[in-house]
Amino acid sequence: MIPCYTVQRNLACIQRIVGGVRWTSSCRPAPLLTASPVRALIDDKISIRGHFLPPRCPVTVCAQMQSDDGDLWEAFAHFNTNLDGTVNLTRDPSVGGSYLGCEPMGLLWGLQPAPGAEKKKVETPYVMLMSLLKGHVSPSERPSTELAAVTAERWYMAPGVRRIDIRQNGVVGTLFLPPGPGPFPAMLDLWGMGGGLVEYRSALFASRGYASFSLAYIGHKDLPGPQHRINVGDPYFKSAFQLLQDHPQVYRDRVGIIGLSFGVYLTLRLANHSDIKPSCLICINGPAGSNIKLADADGRTEQMENDQKYWTYDDQGTVSFRAVSLPANLSPESKVELDHLTCPLMYIVGEDDLSASSIENANLIEETLSAAVKSQLFTRLSYPGAGHLIEPPYTPNSRASLWSVKPQKLVTLWGGHLALHAAAQEDSWKKILEFMETNLRH
Amino acid sequence: MDMKQHCVKLSLTIHALHQCEDGHSWEAFAHYNADATGTVNVSQDPSLGGTYSGVEPMGLLSNLRPVPGSKTGLRWRKMNVQTPMGVTISVYQGHQTEGFLDQVLLASVVVERWYMAPGVRRVPITEGGLTATLFLPSGPGPFPGLLDLWGWGGKLVEYRAALLASHGIASMALDYLTPQMTKETGRMVDIDYFETAYRVLEQHPQILGSRIAMLGLSFGVGVTLRMAVYSKGLKLSCAVCISGSHVQPIDGPLEQMLTYLNKNAYKMRSDENNQVIWRDLMLPIPTDPSLKVDMGRLQCPLLLVVGEDDQNWPSSESAMDMKEMMERAGNSHLLTVLSYKNAGHLIEPPFTPFTRASTTKTDTNPPTKVMTLWGGELVAHSRAQEDAWRKTLVFLRENLYGGMKHGASFSNL
Repeated sequence: MIPCYTVQRNLACIQRIVGGVRWTSSCRPAPLLTASPVRALIDDKISIRGHFLPPRCPVTVCAQMQSDDGDLWEAFAHFNTNLDGTVNLTRDPSVGGSYLGCEPMGLLWGLQPAPGAEKKKVETPYVMLMSLLKGHVSPSERPSTELAAVTAERWYMAPGVRRIDIRQNGVVGTLFLPPGPGPFPAMLDLWGMGGGLVEYRSALFASRGYASFSLAYIGHKDLPGPQHRINVGDPYFKSAFQLLQDHPQVYRDRVGIIGLSFGVYLTLRLANHSDIKPSCLICINGPAGSNIKLADADGRTEQMENDQKYWTYDDQGTVSFRAVSLPANLSPESKVELDHLTCPLMYIVGEDDLSASSIENANLIEETLSAAVKSQLFTRLSYPGAGHLIEPPYTPNSRASLWSVKPQKLVTLWGGHLALHAAAQEDSWKKILEFMETNLRH
Repeated sequence: MDMKQHCVKLSLTIHALHQCEDGHSWEAFAHYNADATGTVNVSQDPSLGGTYSGVEPMGLLSNLRPVPGSKTGLRWRKMNVQTPMGVTISVYQGHQTEGFLDQVLLASVVVERWYMAPGVRRVPITEGGLTATLFLPSGPGPFPGLLDLWGWGGKLVEYRAALLASHGIASMALDYLTPQMTKETGRMVDIDYFETAYRVLEQHPQILGSRIAMLGLSFGVGVTLRMAVYSKGLKLSCAVCISGSHVQPIDGPLEQMLTYLNKNAYKMRSDENNQVIWRDLMLPIPTDPSLKVDMGRLQCPLLLVVGEDDQNWPSSESAMDMKEMMERAGNSHLLTVLSYKNAGHLIEPPFTPFTRASTTKTDTNPPTKVMTLWGGELVAHSRAQEDAWRKTLVFLRENLYGGMKHGASFSNL
């Protein structure tokens, strides 16, 4: 390997030759890495290209992002430049790295996150640093091999979207309103047992023109304690829906509900109330019943031990919750009756869901609606190889992550195979937005 | 931009509103009819009237103008490049022409337009007595460099340099008319000021000293050409000259350019609207070689951008004269001229408001305000800006990044 010589400017240039290829020289600027658009929403595509490289040479493109907690996420892909010295992620296949094949957004969904990392502050963007490295290397070799870089911002919130903390009538949540006068169609946004307030999907909905309300129901300091239990009941969810409906900038006749995981049960339960009339329901990988009881009218709750007997462990001690929501294991009286459903219901299944029995619950819901002669309301999207956490696209998926630290440290399995899960997120998000448009705007 | 509504055959007005840094409001609006699905697509549908008509994808930005009741003679410029230009785009029912704030608003969105990409670094430069700002692209470099010169009025105008850095060129916006040095001494800077600026770029660890360009607008063109041809202290890879001239006394200090202009100030005239036309100061193009840069000695590629309705400088006449000089000398292969019919003097990066005339301060003592006519017709000028900017970027990339056949590197092994 020929060492690199620094050069005095009034001498003829000396090239730095690596592996028989002239990569950089004092006669030529560094190659150029571009990303377009450099500022965009999370669900927008980005086009990443390298220019002015030697032809037919190995390069690595890597992406780095820092989560709100300061954890570093990375993805990388190996390419060979083509004859005109360019690499174009929209056109060229990756031959190694975090993903394979031609995947324009692969560096984004292929990011490997630190456990438990998710975007908590939606008012700031993810800053993505993309680098072009020489050769087929791993990102750890970035310092010595970096040729060019570009920074892109990825946002959950479009300019003009308003974020409003809601602590009203005992309801705890965050409301996102699009810019403009409204009234807007709206969505109530429910997540799973991980708890807290998950805002990013709502922020994106608002960026796409829908008022959206992220609701907390477990694991939040402003809710009645203790935090590891659900201490709210049906009245709480009804209040939340009505609060959203009654908002002066919400179009009350066009309010839908979306739920992921345990949020599916809450969605179905809420829609079952005769005085709650959503315009549409979207259910992602969740149960139609539950062994966990919500708080009763007096705010009393039961312990949550019952489910643990259905937990299964692999040889590394990673837990799968899948069997908990098998219809056979669900308490019969909790199974939501759907005979009175009047609005369209979309159920999204990740066929490799290791956290919930999504296929079985989708079947159950479909059968129930069929029996009530309401099949026309049901739409199923089923994705082979997709896991439990089907979320907005171009964001990383974890096959497993840290679930709890107390009373014991537990890592849980979500499932999902990288490229298939990414494809599921991209397709389902598009279909979710179309479904919302059909049912909330017409 | 799409807009969906319940009703069919709906007449709509789309309105853009922007508040600039000094508090003035700018607006544009256009009348559309929604199609059968209740959709308007500004990129494809024709405007039936308003601030513009026809199919204009960027019309709501390019046609922004001061709202009724504003001061006259305003010129839009963004001085703080670290924040975006925010524009609120709204939809109103019917074909409205005024009183937008009192109308019933159907929907609106906010868009942000940036001069600076994320990761671009803004570095104030004061070394060597310079008043300048350097913009560095993301990444390790080395990057090609560029010296960015504006025209009359001076000040540190950063937006074009920020934009160029966002395209991979380390660019230095240089104040050479009102720098600290001139404020203190009352004297105009000289050639060595620009040579210092060039050296700062050349010696920067992240800038490739052998790939430095110069871009000048208006008065800045004269300086650029003077430096490109005569300065021993710098070697340019290429130059871009917008709306300017090679006419200037070439012997003696740069300050003589000002003396020359002042001497000819009597040629200034006003049109029927009392708008001042300065273009005649340099006409006719002199035949005396000591009064114009010897273009035959230029050794680097040159892109000349000319608005044929330029009322401020005789750019067309100068371009023609420069071309003739270069043809006679045999170096005209270096020259590319972009000439735009009905475009005016201020050919700037695209999709920003057009100014046909605006208030400028004269350098008399005390200074007075006059309405200077820049020229140009809105649509033609906007198109010229779009086309010229795109071609400028291609020209700069070819000369600063390209220039070496990649195939050659393999044959050397």
